[in-house]
Amino acid sequence: MVDVSTEIKNVMSAVFEVPVEQITEGSSADTIDAWDSLKHLNLILALEEEFDISIPDEEVGNLFNYKLIELIVNECRK
Amino acid sequence: MDNLKYSEILQLNRAMFKDMHGRPYHVKVLSNITVNSIKELLEYTLHVNKINPIVKLGNYDNIVQDSANCNDDDLVIVFYNLQNVIDGISSYFEGVNDELYISIKEKICNEIDIVFENLKSLPAVIFNMFSAVEFVNSYFHQSKIELLVSDLNRYLNLIKPLHVHLINTEKIISQVGVNHAMDLRLNYSSKAPYTLTFLKKYLGAIEPIILRNTGKLKKAIIFDCDNTLWKGILGEDGVDKIDMSGTSHDGKIYNYIQQIAVFLSKRGVLIGLCSKNNEHDVSDVLMNHPDMVLTNNFIAIKKVNWNDKAANLRLISSELNIGLDSIIFVDDSSFEINLIKEQLPEIITLQVPTAIYEYPNKLLQIVYKYFNLYGNQADENKTEMYKQQFVRESFKDKFVSIEDYLSSLSISLTIHKDKLSFVPRIAQLTQKTNQFNLTTKRYTENQIIQFVQSEDDFVFSISVEDKFGDSGLTGLCIIRKNLQNSKDVTIDTFLMSCRIIGRNIEFAFIDSIFDWLIDQHFETVTAEFLQTKKNDQVKNFYEELGFYVENNNTESKRYTIQLKDYERKKVEYIEVVIKMNEQN
Repeated sequence: MVDVSTEIKNVMSAVFEVPVEQITEGSSADTIDAWDSLKHLNLILALEEEFDISIPDEEVGNLFNYKLIELIVNECRK
Repeated sequence: MDNLKYSEILQLNRAMFKDMHGRPYHVKVLSNITVNSIKELLEYTLHVNKINPIVKLGNYDNIVQDSANCNDDDLVIVFYNLQNVIDGISSYFEGVNDELYISIKEKICNEIDIVFENLKSLPAVIFNMFSAVEFVNSYFHQSKIELLVSDLNRYLNLIKPLHVHLINTEKIISQVGVNHAMDLRLNYSSKAPYTLTFLKKYLGAIEPIILRNTGKLKKAIIFDCDNTLWKGILGEDGVDKIDMSGTSHDGKIYNYIQQIAVFLSKRGVLIGLCSKNNEHDVSDVLMNHPDMVLTNNFIAIKKVNWNDKAANLRLISSELNIGLDSIIFVDDSSFEINLIKEQLPEIITLQVPTAIYEYPNKLLQIVYKYFNLYGNQADENKTEMYKQQFVRESFKDKFVSIEDYLSSLSISLTIHKDKLSFVPRIAQLTQKTNQFNLTTKRYTENQIIQFVQSEDDFVFSISVEDKFGDSGLTGLCIIRKNLQNSKDVTIDTFLMSCRIIGRNIEFAFIDSIFDWLIDQHFETVTAEFLQTKKNDQVKNFYEELGFYVENNNTESKRYTIQLKDYERKKVEYIEVVIKMNEQN
């Protein structure tokens, strides 16, 4: 069983085409070059599929850093 | 792809780039919605079929304009979604009057004509048929949207050239279910209506077209016999006990399989047998068994012996003079299937499923993917001739050039100057606009307020309207006086929302601004282009306007122009309304 934070980092690594070691707790749209609005959509889709969740509309626009993503993914999984 | 997660596909896809060689296959996806998630899925599909992909996405909502720049592409895919059309109408679509309905329909048909004309020399075009199934509210009444879809699809079928493939989007959506195919939430926020589920299915739907156009179709299907073409084992059960009867419970599935094989054979697919049996036993069945449908006259080659099947398939390949990668092999045995997978990985294998009722569908899925079963050349030619004639007649009254089309839109620009009430939207434009943005300077509302209130800065903004609606405030130009030289100004910011790109609006905007500057007795204008990853399309904008390049650094170019030397672009079909003196 892979834990949630590793899964999130794997997803982010796949979407932004960045080695998974470079994804850290401090990663955000400011630190990852490829993270633009289009890739952000891909990220949402990938996270929802990975964790079988549906992220509420008002949160979609907030998920611009790792910490918030982890928070919201865990919220949605409940 | 259906059973892979999106993130897995992304990773696999990225890895495949390293090993991919060969002639690149250029695909462009044009759309009036956000469908960028398809890029990696499409690349993956091409990779899996050993095609070297170069996939590009067109500009947002620039289908017509982008279609003029596809001459080097191998395949163009067009997503024309009606959501945009509906959003452009200010009232509820159902209440639209006949006149407006007809003009909307004609506008779209014109756009289709231009797109097909622009793409006429491409090897292949995929155009998604219009879909209304996501807008259904009644199951016994045809809504206006459904009528529009029906009219437009009829038009598509009528005029489409031979190399254009229409995809039945509604079929795909209904296979998956509207709720699983459409994402209302992301549609609302980002005009991205399609889910990954839909996109994956969509790629499965177009894969046969890609295979057909890249020479990857197969030529032969080779079948095992026992428990593949009939129920039972000939050598053990004997000729009386094997079952392929069309009326028996067990036999009828195999009977159906044989019918499919005969159908394929008549369509030019090579059918062969590869079975571990005594040759004369199988010949006996082929010639004498009353229920045998796939008889000798439909079979191109037989290898019935006790040798290993990999050797047999190699012989089949050389005797039929076709590559191993042109062969599909069907067998019930895990042993044989795995043997071939290991020894002859180029061969596509199908193992007869244990849930036998799934067998025909699994066979048909492979068949429809890897073989071109439609079209008789002579028939196609005749139909093509009729269509060409029809198009020729109807084209006389239609718009063919982009210029004509743009004129028909009745574009009108309203230019505002230093309008305080627009500050929030102006600041937002500087934050969000990436592509048509010459200097990409990001400003807060406060900073814009400073510009607006300052005597030395001028904030020009434009709102754009056309026959079908109002795009809102979508363009910005911030001009600053040069404090050392009162006759000189500099363009600090020039940007346009991607909603209005491709209509020459930028030229009408600049013409008006420069007219105003001349009126105010300014003499020179300086400007800059600062390169980013996203604004490549405007790197020569100032050159096009006749500015003189002061330095030759591609990443940051500096320009200057004498206003008396400026030649107006005069975009005839854009009406400009000047509202520069309005109080806020």
